[in-house]
Amino acid sequence: MNTRTTSSPPHAEFFPAPRSPAAPARILATIVEDAEQLRRFWPVVQNMVAQELRVRYQRSVLGFFWTLLNPILMMATLTVVFSQLLGDDPKKYAITLFSGIVPWGLLSGCLTECAFCIIQNEGLIRKIFLPKLIFPLTRVLINLVTMVLSFAALFLLLAPLGASFKAQMLLLPLIIALFTVFSLGLGLIVATMNTFYRDCSHLVTVFLQAWYFATPILYPATRFQNVPWMLALNPAYPFIRLFQNVISDGVWPSLTLFLAAAGIATVSLGVGYAAFKSNEAKLIFRL
Amino acid sequence: MQPSSRTKPSSSSASKTQRRVDASGGNPVELQDVSLKFVSYHDKQYSLKRAALDLVLRRVNPMPASDFWALSHINLTIAKGDRVGIVGHNGAGKSTLLRLLARIYPPTSGLVKIRGNVAPLIEMGAGFNPELSGLDNIMLNGAMLGLARKQMAEKVEGIFGFTGLQEFADLPLKYYSSGMYTRLAFAIATEIDPDILLIDESLGAGDAAFVEKAKARIRGLLDRSNVVVIVSHDMTSLREMCTRGLWMNKGQVVADGPMGEIIDGYLASSAAQAG
Repeated sequence: MNTRTTSSPPHAEFFPAPRSPAAPARILATIVEDAEQLRRFWPVVQNMVAQELRVRYQRSVLGFFWTLLNPILMMATLTVVFSQLLGDDPKKYAITLFSGIVPWGLLSGCLTECAFCIIQNEGLIRKIFLPKLIFPLTRVLINLVTMVLSFAALFLLLAPLGASFKAQMLLLPLIIALFTVFSLGLGLIVATMNTFYRDCSHLVTVFLQAWYFATPILYPATRFQNVPWMLALNPAYPFIRLFQNVISDGVWPSLTLFLAAAGIATVSLGVGYAAFKSNEAKLIFRL
Repeated sequence: MQPSSRTKPSSSSASKTQRRVDASGGNPVELQDVSLKFVSYHDKQYSLKRAALDLVLRRVNPMPASDFWALSHINLTIAKGDRVGIVGHNGAGKSTLLRLLARIYPPTSGLVKIRGNVAPLIEMGAGFNPELSGLDNIMLNGAMLGLARKQMAEKVEGIFGFTGLQEFADLPLKYYSSGMYTRLAFAIATEIDPDILLIDESLGAGDAAFVEKAKARIRGLLDRSNVVVIVSHDMTSLREMCTRGLWMNKGQVVADGPMGEIIDGYLASSAAQAG
C-alpha cells in the first residue's frame, strides 16, 4: 500500500519502521529517525534538566555550595593524606587531584543515575510516548552541567594554591565533549542492563569503586611504570590523562592521546546505542 | 472469528487536495494485521544473580513468564473525521489498542501507521510534574506532545480560558484538586489541536458542568476534522459523541459499525451472558 515515498508532512509514523533490506541502510535510518525524534522532543530534555537543576540548586541559596562541600572535603582529606604518602607537594597534588576527580564525578554520576533512569520514569513511559533515549540523555546532561559548575567553582577555590589559567585549557570543551560521549555510551549500556536485571546497579557501584582506584587519579600514572598494561586496558585513563594534561600539567596533549580518547568514546557510544536500541521496544514490558 | 475491517469510502491515495492529515494521501490511522503479545514476567526483579544461577544449574525455563495476545490480527482503518467509540469487557484489549495508537506499546507483529499529531488522554495528567506550577506543566506537557515552546506559549491563554484555572497558574500542581488536574490535562490535550485524540475513560472525572464543556469541546475538535478514539463504559456518552463503534473481545475487533448498533449489540450480548 503506502510506501515510504508518500510520507510527507504532517509527519507520518510507521511502527515498526519500514525495513530497509540492507543492514547499513537500516542502521542509518534508525539513527536518522532518532535524531529527528530527539530534535522534536528536545524541549522535554531541556525541561527535565532545568527542573532537576532547579530543585537541586534553587531551593536554598547555598544549594550549589552544599553540593560542593562533598568534593571540597574529599579533596582536602585526600590531599592531606596522599601528598604525605606520596611525598608530593600538597599544592601541586591538590591541583592534579582536582583535574582528575571532577571528571570522575561525571562518569560515576552518569553510570549510577542512568542505571535507574528507565525504572524511575516508569510512570511517564507507560502513559505517554517519549523517545526513551531522552532519559539517559537527561541524566548525562545533568551530570555534565554539574561537572562544568564544579570545575569552575573549585578552580576559583584552588587559585590561591596556584591553579592558574593555561592556554591548554582551551581544549577543555573538546575533552569534556569526548568524555561525555564516553559516559553516555556506558550510561546507555547500564540503563539497558539494569532494567532487565535489577541487581546490575549494585555491580555498577562496586565496579565503579574498583575502577576509580585503578585509574591514576589519586596517584600519578608513573606509579604504573612496571605494569603499563594496566593503563592500556583502562578505557577511562586517556580521558583523565587529557584532563590532567591541560589543567594541572599545562602541556599540550599528544595527538595519539586525543585519537585514543576519540576512538574509545566512539566505540562506547556505538556499543551503548546498539545495546539500547535493540532492547528499546522490550523495555516497557519489563517495568 | 475474522476481524472485520471496514473500508470507508474515503481516500487512500487519491485526494491529495484535502488539507491537514490527508497531505500524505492516507488515513490518519491504519493498522495492518497488528498483534501485540504481552509477556508478563512473574518476577520483575529478575537479577543477574538468578540468571547466573539458572545458567549454572541449567534450568530449562529460567524466567517464569507467561504471555498472552492482548491484540491479535487487528485490521483497522480510521478515516479523517471518524469518532470512534470502543466498547468491550474488561480485558478485551480496548486500552491496549489505545496505547498502541499512542505508540506506548510497540506492535509485536503487523504494521501501525499513524499520520499526524497524537494526543493521548490515556491517564489523566500523564507527564505532569507535581512539583511544577500549572503554567510550567502546560509547557512541559506541550513539549511531551511534540510542540515547540513558542507554539505552546500561544495556547496557554486558551487553556486557562477553558479551565478557568488562571489564578492557580503559579501554584504547584500538587496542590491542585483532582478535578482541576483533570481539567488541565484535558484542556492541554484538546487545545493543541491534535490530529488524533485518544481518550480512555476520562470523561467521568470533573463536575457535571465540566463534562458538558468537555463534550462540546470534543465536538468542536471533530468539526476540525480530527480523529477521536474513545474507550469508555459510559454508553450514553459514546452514543452521543461517536459515529463509529468498535466492539472488542479477547483482543479482536468482533464488530465494527455505527455506534448505536454496536452498543445495542454489545448490551444485548452482555445481558444474554449475565442472564
